[in-house]
Amino acid sequence: MPQSSSSSKKHGTDQPDIGGPASKSQRTKMVKSSDDTEKKNLAKKLKELEISVPIVYGNIAFWLGKKASEYQSHKWTVYVRGGTNEDISVVVKRVVFQLHSSFNNPTRVVDGPPFELSESGWGEFEIVITLHFHNDVCEKPLHLYHHLKLYPEDDSGPMSTKKPVVVESYDEIVFTEPSEGFFSRVQNHPAVVVPRLPAGFALPPPVPLEDADKRRRGDTKDHTLSQWFSNFSEADELLKLAAARQQVQAHIATLRRQLSLIDGQHQQLKSASDM
Amino acid sequence: MDAKDILLGLPKPTTTPTPHGHQLLPLPADKKSRPPKESQRKPDGISREVYALTGGLAPLMPSVDVNHLKRRAQSENEKITWQWLPFTSSARKDNLQLYHWVRVVNGVPPSGDYSFAKYNKSVDVIKYTDDEYEKHLTDPMWTKEETDELFDLCERFDLRFIVIADRFPTSRTVEELKSRYYSVCRAILIARAPAPGDIAGHPLVKDAYNISQDVERKRALSMVLSQTKQQERRDAEVLAEAKRISEARKAAKGTDELEVPAMTDTVPDDNDGAAAAVDSLSPSPNAQFTSGAIAPPVSEIASTLASLRMMRVYLRTHALEQMVQAASSSAGLRTIKRVEQTLQDLGVNLKPKVPTKAVCAEHLELRKEILTLLNLQKQLQYKEAEGSSYRDGLYAETPGTPPKRVQRAVEQDRTFVPDSFSFGGERMGKRDQKRKAPGRLLEGPPSPAQSKRPRKFKASDG
Repeated sequence: MPQSSSSSKKHGTDQPDIGGPASKSQRTKMVKSSDDTEKKNLAKKLKELEISVPIVYGNIAFWLGKKASEYQSHKWTVYVRGGTNEDISVVVKRVVFQLHSSFNNPTRVVDGPPFELSESGWGEFEIVITLHFHNDVCEKPLHLYHHLKLYPEDDSGPMSTKKPVVVESYDEIVFTEPSEGFFSRVQNHPAVVVPRLPAGFALPPPVPLEDADKRRRGDTKDHTLSQWFSNFSEADELLKLAAARQQVQAHIATLRRQLSLIDGQHQQLKSASDM
Repeated sequence: MDAKDILLGLPKPTTTPTPHGHQLLPLPADKKSRPPKESQRKPDGISREVYALTGGLAPLMPSVDVNHLKRRAQSENEKITWQWLPFTSSARKDNLQLYHWVRVVNGVPPSGDYSFAKYNKSVDVIKYTDDEYEKHLTDPMWTKEETDELFDLCERFDLRFIVIADRFPTSRTVEELKSRYYSVCRAILIARAPAPGDIAGHPLVKDAYNISQDVERKRALSMVLSQTKQQERRDAEVLAEAKRISEARKAAKGTDELEVPAMTDTVPDDNDGAAAAVDSLSPSPNAQFTSGAIAPPVSEIASTLASLRMMRVYLRTHALEQMVQAASSSAGLRTIKRVEQTLQDLGVNLKPKVPTKAVCAEHLELRKEILTLLNLQKQLQYKEAEGSSYRDGLYAETPGTPPKRVQRAVEQDRTFVPDSFSFGGERMGKRDQKRKAPGRLLEGPPSPAQSKRPRKFKASDG
């Protein structure tokens, strides 16, 4: 494995520069065994890691206004996209949207990015979104549940055909115990959050895809509806959580002080009553 | 026709001698004013009394359509009589003749064997010759007479070994008898078979009777049967504990706080050893209570982590849900509601809007800290209730009644920093009121309410 040996540090087994053919074979033997242990350690490390893919899923619905009929009042699109609008087809093979049974062919399969489905209708219902992953990623599919929303929450004034109703949910797909192939394939992909391997471990860089252009199109950065996408930033939430934790911790400290004080008093009382 | 019909249904007589003299019978004509349905006419098909059970009215819906009831077939075509006739049974070897009632149709009694004779099944017990006995069946533990007796009994009692054991002249256990019987049969089978391969599939040859295994099995069964309820409960507890611990072990990699001896398969015999382990476990969670009662959910959390790992793929929101559940596993519903209320007061979403790894971790930690906080508050309440009991508990209010929400400004660092959110406000009031007594020890003059109480002692006096 020329690649791995060049990119990895052989920790533990230093190769002393002994000259001569006999020692060379000895060296190669040492190299081989350290490779094996390295492989084992790598496999063990991979078992403890998790790879996550941030996603956003939801729907955007436009009221059709004048063109609305009784049964087709809205045009809506339900979709799954990468959390930062990157291309998730690197892990997702296909997505199945299960619609209400009143739709024709309610099981809609989308085989490539962008993973979305557009329809027109009047009703709100739960859509089951099933993500199927590539074979080296995971054999089990994952289900998401999204309640299709067409009508705005607040009845503020007349409905507009220009401003859609948007409901998005942020989540992250977590893959435990990733395979080596999966890991090396996605380790540099922008759609995937891959933890850094500790020093000394490395995987060979992935075989580059032949069709780089094809890959480019899978992201949703320039999607027609991208102007309506919500921005999910964890910073806000983290700040709030940190502030809340501080408050709670301060109260806990206060309570602990009080408790120990009272304990002390009780001790005094006890000794006093014994007198 | 029943009695009432006779009395009322007949045409009105002119005079009829009755005990009361020439009094006329009640006439159907008089009855016209009464509701005609009742007592006028008995309804068809059921007796009057049964009809009265329905309240004297016909049911709204027919419960059983009379047409659906099976008509007794051919009741009109044939003449059915019942006769007391003798019969014999092929199941009997003697010629005993018994009698029974027989349904005779048109004068022809039924033919055929006694209907229960077909149930007289028996076992084909092997019969061996003396020669065969000499050659294959001798055994140091058994005499020929005993073996013959055994087989005779087996034949008589259709291999009901319990009965055979009772009747066996020398005392042998059921297992011994079975063992002898089956090994004899097996030996005979093998001896008589033309080729060993023929009978290799026979169950007696394939799975021979294993006497020691049988004895052990019965012993174990009787042990299980004779277990007291308490032992049963202890067993269940131990098994559950073992399961939890092995899961926690798998995930937590030895960082478990509760030290537990290795739990191997618990056999009913090993009750005591395992039960002792359970007892040693129970005090430790209590001891850890003061440290915030985090200890009990540790195994829940660990097993949740393990099961998440097993899933290979999951959503982070789902993982957070499971972890929250595991962390609150020791808390009751009310406590969980209080945690959620606290979160809301703090301005935190019950379910994070952006559930990244970091956010979920923070959220979980926050929830755990709130649980700790609530536990500490409860402890404080208890301690103060304890404190009042040192003083003969002469407070008007009992610990359970929540007093009015009075925020007392007490000088020392006994109050909380006045919060922007009022979580715990109600409890603070309660605490402050209770704190009158302990506060007394260290600070100022008694408040008016206190002076009425006879103070047994004052620490400041002593």
